[in-house]
Amino acid sequence: MHSKQSKWLWAASLLVYAFLYLPLVIVVVYSFNDSRLNAEWVGFTTKWYGVLFADDQMLTAARNSLLIGLVSSIFATFFGTLAGLAMYKYKLRLLPILVLTPIAIPEILMALSLLMFFVALNFTMGYLSIGLAHIAFSIGFVAIVVRSRLQGMDESLVEAARDLGAGPLQAFWRVTFPLILPGIIAGALMAFTLSIDDFVITYFVAGAGASTLPLQIYSMLKIAVTPEVNAISSLLMLLTLALIVIAAKIAPGALRASH
Amino acid sequence: MKKLLIALCLITGVARADNVLHVFNWNNAISDDTVKAFEAQCKCKVEATYYGSAEEMLAKLSAGAKGFDVIGPANYAITPLVKLNLLQPLDHGKLSNLKNISPTFANTKIDPGNQYSVPYDFTVTLVGYNAQKMKELGVDPTSWSAVFDPKILAKMKGKVTVLDDPREVIGAALRYNGFSANSTNPAELKKAVGTIKAAKPYWAAFNSQSYIKELTVGNIWLALGYSNDMYQARSDAQKAGRPFQIDYALQKEGNGMTADSFVMARNAPRPDLAHQFINFMLDGKNAAQTTNQIGSGTPNSAALPFVRADLKTVPAIAPNAQQAAKLEQLTDLDAKTRRAWNQAWTEIKISK
Repeated sequence: MHSKQSKWLWAASLLVYAFLYLPLVIVVVYSFNDSRLNAEWVGFTTKWYGVLFADDQMLTAARNSLLIGLVSSIFATFFGTLAGLAMYKYKLRLLPILVLTPIAIPEILMALSLLMFFVALNFTMGYLSIGLAHIAFSIGFVAIVVRSRLQGMDESLVEAARDLGAGPLQAFWRVTFPLILPGIIAGALMAFTLSIDDFVITYFVAGAGASTLPLQIYSMLKIAVTPEVNAISSLLMLLTLALIVIAAKIAPGALRASH
Repeated sequence: MKKLLIALCLITGVARADNVLHVFNWNNAISDDTVKAFEAQCKCKVEATYYGSAEEMLAKLSAGAKGFDVIGPANYAITPLVKLNLLQPLDHGKLSNLKNISPTFANTKIDPGNQYSVPYDFTVTLVGYNAQKMKELGVDPTSWSAVFDPKILAKMKGKVTVLDDPREVIGAALRYNGFSANSTNPAELKKAVGTIKAAKPYWAAFNSQSYIKELTVGNIWLALGYSNDMYQARSDAQKAGRPFQIDYALQKEGNGMTADSFVMARNAPRPDLAHQFINFMLDGKNAAQTTNQIGSGTPNSAALPFVRADLKTVPAIAPNAQQAAKLEQLTDLDAKTRRAWNQAWTEIKISK
């Protein structure tokens, strides 16, 4: 009985993983296809990588995406962690609502309201407006992850540290912080991912001449997406994998869901 | 505070290089060579920003996005742009090449006297098809009956796709029934919807995204789509060495078409460069480059001598006077008609 059940579980999980990863494999495979169409396999070539490295627009867009993702996720992680701590420690009514609203409201609403806000301030839109918008919508996600990590933490550990003479800051850095670090790192990775692939909000707050990778790819749809897009996507996947490996090295427990 | 502001300005690039023209357009609508040639002539830089649909562009501009000089909307978006007061009139004194616009496209109802807009390309909604298959089956693709007549469709069941767009498909069904593609008459709309419902069981899908590929590979034999996409499908099939040819033709009942135009934003930072750019694009040689690159039609009479020989004979790119007379520009529908069309579309989508 037991073995039968585990066989089914294995089969089910294999199916789920296949569904998640096969499309990614196909994207990578077709980046080496010697045809302008992602229709069928014609032959092996690396020419699309050549096309990509000669395409300034695409490379600039990719660089912008990575930079905005990096900077905005650092800020969002900092503020989100503070918000998560505050929501856990103090029973505030308003703060959770303020922090979590951006997660709940439809993206298009947030996009238009941010654009109108920048216009009202007479703020010249460019990369700074994109960065600020990304920080704004990422904070909530980081805060939620950090707060749930805190809720799973044993409060008596901090109390014990205090009883043994640690100051409040010392107790935080020595006890609380290491315990919630996996949550913080998960939140940071989430913020980075959200920033990298956001289209709607970015489209509206991007100034004249500012571009990110999703904007660039989306605007190619009208004519036809060439395997050049597969090539840049494959490289990004490689980078993401590298990031996950590095994160796992820095904080071995970080990528495991809980204790 | 002041220091902070200056720092902010530097980051956001307020202190921009002076000589930049900001163009807001479809991606790939203008060839890179044309842009480079213009940059050399005006000693300025062209910064392009792209959008994927007219709705996107309108939404962004009407919410107050600034900083663009020239916008390249589809013609049906010009009316709302003018209504929303987002454009400024063009100074015809600075556009010496204005005379190059062919009479079919100049001074239309959409923009009388070309006060705001100058057309630079056009796309026809038509039938693209697998030439060998049509011959085999004896189907005549130069009539809309190939898309809408169940008797003919019976030969190609599951091998036909149409665009996923009420404006285009209902417009074509109206033409098939002998009405205008911009009809606001409810009775005519009803008849067109009846036509579509009768044809729908024979269609494989409503497809606006991948029909180029499906035609090229041979999965579908006939598609209602855009002329520059059919051009793409045709050259892709040739390059891939398929045993069949993809062709496209105008329909004898007449076709809807959409021109794209250049307009100038009301708050354009550089109206001088904007005029220079629009005039440059009106030059026959430069206009031809656009057609040669993406296979769009050209509304520019002076461009024809420079258009590639194999494109000159394509009616959807360079129609003669007789063919041009049957092309109808799709206009922005009034709110009531648009609601009726969208309702009809929903009804079509859920019908068996």
